Amino acid sequence: MTVLPDHLTALSDDYVLGLLSESETMLFEEVMQRDPAVAAYVGDLRDRLLPLDLSASVQDLPAGFADAVQDRLGAVKQLPAAPRSHPKPANDPHRPRAWRGALAASIVALAIGFGAGWQRPLPDPVVVAVLVDDAGVPQAVVEDYGNDTATVRFVADIDVPADRSLQAWTLPSAELGATSLGVLDGARSTVLDFGDLPDPEAQQLYEVTLEPLGGSPTGRPTGPIIGKGFAALQDS
Amino acid sequence: MLHHALKAPTPCQTMMTPGVWMNKRTAVVTDHNQQLHDALHDCRAGRQTGVERIIALEGPQLLGVATRMLGRRDLAEEALQDAMVQVWRKAAQFSDASGSARGWIYAILRNRCLNILRDGKRISLLSPDELTTLQEARQRSVPAQDWEILAGASKLQTCLRGLEDQARTAILLAYVGGYSHGEIAARQDVPLGTTKSWIRRGLAFLKECLT
Repeated sequence: MTVLPDHLTALSDDYVLGLLSESETMLFEEVMQRDPAVAAYVGDLRDRLLPLDLSASVQDLPAGFADAVQDRLGAVKQLPAAPRSHPKPANDPHRPRAWRGALAASIVALAIGFGAGWQRPLPDPVVVAVLVDDAGVPQAVVEDYGNDTATVRFVADIDVPADRSLQAWTLPSAELGATSLGVLDGARSTVLDFGDLPDPEAQQLYEVTLEPLGGSPTGRPTGPIIGKGFAALQDS
Repeated sequence: MLHHALKAPTPCQTMMTPGVWMNKRTAVVTDHNQQLHDALHDCRAGRQTGVERIIALEGPQLLGVATRMLGRRDLAEEALQDAMVQVWRKAAQFSDASGSARGWIYAILRNRCLNILRDGKRISLLSPDELTTLQEARQRSVPAQDWEILAGASKLQTCLRGLEDQARTAILLAYVGGYSHGEIAARQDVPLGTTKSWIRRGLAFLKECLT
């Protein structure tokens, strides 16, 4: 079996056993897409545990099952073979490792309930949203603590032109509309302190957009969406 | 153990004569895997017949897994339908370097089932009676005494037998029943950390034994 660093072995095991949360699963699948060693380890363990699936009693499919599936396929956009290749400096051979590290750190942070790498442990977030781009690839993770504080952590390499700023947003309610959580100083992990907003809820929308330098001039998002996602309530 | 394994024949096993079952089984499984692999390739090439073939080859067994984990036929059918759509969507991401086509397809189904189980809103739509029935069916999915039936006549069964009871039960509750760390700890009436360490050590032993 492939040998992985301990934290990746632990995540891989939990993934195969089905012990990761939905957000963690989504991020972990991104790690697998980018890291063949992790994918090989998971595939191997999965195949070894497969007898447990094959022992379930077969059940007859309901009439018309295959047709019902076919009816849905037309509307589904198939994903590309490989994750989109992000530009990498030719002089940085360690880039893939850095990828693995950033994503894995995010999952570990989600799994243990506070931001690994932050100076102080934060309380448990009320909601977590994984922000994905239009191809479904995770770009950032927002954790909202419900006390007008949130963190945003990037898990993809985002190219921010010198004359642009990243800005984080949420949609607390239709009445309030899109509300800024803050302008970011580049695509790096940031703690956001913002004005008085209602407590975050399940399915609340979060997004990060690319805005003119210094933030949106209108107070509403105006630029392209880097990533957006819906909040998942965290068990407390 | 043989009669256990044969108790629920999958479509590809029904042609087997019991006496030659083990040897033929290996050949049939390999062929079956190859057919699933080819079907995934069709999906990747944008041919919807690939999904049809996967359903024909593996549908009843997949529905069995979903029914066992979700405890309800309607939820299981929904999960399988969603999973087949995901297989179509993600087919290009399947790679030979990451295990068998069969393992990959089952993983997608199991993840879909887990999402349904962990979706509080989805489950809260059920009436209290329905919820009780579902929980009881799920509890039966991992029998304490007859757990061996879950692993069939496999090396895995031999290795599982080498585990301490609590570790084995915790691992089976997670994989077969779709229980979370918290639920397993509650069911085994131990602190969360204890459950986690049983699972961690148990799986380390299993991997060593299976290699």
